[in-house]
Amino acid sequence: MTVRDLGRITLVMVLFVTVQQTLMLDLRIGGVHPDIMVLLPIVAGIVGGPARGASMGFGAGLVADLFLPTPFGLSALVGCLLGFGVGLATLALDRTASWLPPVAALVGSALYEVVYAVLGSVLGQPQMLHVNMVRVVVLVSVVNAVLALPALRIVSWTLREVSTEGVPTSPLSSGTLR
Amino acid sequence: MLASITIITLDARGGFHRITSGARSVASDAFAPVKSGVDDIIEPIGSFLAGSVHYGAVRQQNQKLQAEIDQLKQEQRSQADIDQAQRQLNALLNLTFLPNLQQVPAEVTDYGTSNFAATIDISVGRSDGVQLGMPVVGGGGLVGQVVQANHSTSTVRLVTDGQSSVGVRFGPAPGTLAVLAGQGSGKPLSADFVESNTPLTDGEEFVTSGLQGAVFPAGIPVAKVVSSKNKANSSQESVTLQPLADLAHLRYVSVVLYGPSS
Repeated sequence: MTVRDLGRITLVMVLFVTVQQTLMLDLRIGGVHPDIMVLLPIVAGIVGGPARGASMGFGAGLVADLFLPTPFGLSALVGCLLGFGVGLATLALDRTASWLPPVAALVGSALYEVVYAVLGSVLGQPQMLHVNMVRVVVLVSVVNAVLALPALRIVSWTLREVSTEGVPTSPLSSGTLR
Repeated sequence: MLASITIITLDARGGFHRITSGARSVASDAFAPVKSGVDDIIEPIGSFLAGSVHYGAVRQQNQKLQAEIDQLKQEQRSQADIDQAQRQLNALLNLTFLPNLQQVPAEVTDYGTSNFAATIDISVGRSDGVQLGMPVVGGGGLVGQVVQANHSTSTVRLVTDGQSSVGVRFGPAPGTLAVLAGQGSGKPLSADFVESNTPLTDGEEFVTSGLQGAVFPAGIPVAKVVSSKNKANSSQESVTLQPLADLAHLRYVSVVLYGPSS
């Protein structure tokens, strides 16, 4: 990975965290707001495979944790698992299919929120299971499904020169998809 | 994964928490101007879009008349908004329960960054004398406690958060002691250590106990009883309480410059 790649990833993370901390926090429905930081490991998993998904999940999670009152490192852990899981689950699929990113974002975001709350509860924050989980899961999943394709474009720009080490690479990441 | 687990473990053990807390503080301070700038840009756009949607919905009716009605409604809403802010500021100026403690007024800038914690962000920080653990009050009573003090902003954990617990006193002097526990954002509080058959009336107020070394000074109203009932085979009464401060519509609060050693 070159300095240029790192610069691109940093730029994308700053963009996502800025949108999350401004626009998304204001988009509250029933006290619940969207969480677009979850999108990063999901689309990175689709574009770059399990290893890139996990790395992106860890990095994006650490950045997200800087702004959250929940245990530090929890978002990084769940993001890491999510990125790896999405990368692995989509290996056998046609990753150029336009339906894949929204569906992966819908399912991945729902799983992320549930696992996040359960692990948080295990780590001594039982109140994390006492939120309106259905509302959180529905809102975060739907918003992320809607934003999945633009997010995929952005992340594929950051990962386009990254080797996926034998993992079949999405044409999006090599810029062949028009 | 191992790195994540290591970070979580070190953070939970305490020593490393200073580093993570410091990192969070630096990130919040660095991000505050960006957030403020973007908010300033977005707010008019949001208002414009909201106005457009509203306009579209009423287009089928008499446009001129409807526009006038919209304008009047807007004025009414603005007035109600101003009235609400005024009421909260007046209430802060007339806090009767903390006569001898210095306070720092603050504006509520955000209603929490996580869907899994009941917190608010406020516009004062370490540069204003705010420190970790200080109580925060609103017009009606206790709002919560500072859990992150940055340079110019702070994060407050609301009394309704599941991690929150407040030592309280109720009933005729010297009062019976209990602990109020949060059950999540928007949910009522529950009282622990209230013995069965304790006489409680709906609307009865619980105030902070202020025992030696307590996190909160004595006498701050916290919540009022909504319901109470004795459970079979239980030594404790099940008590549900409503916070006295209107936590869903907070605009202004005060940080009480108080620590357990004060």
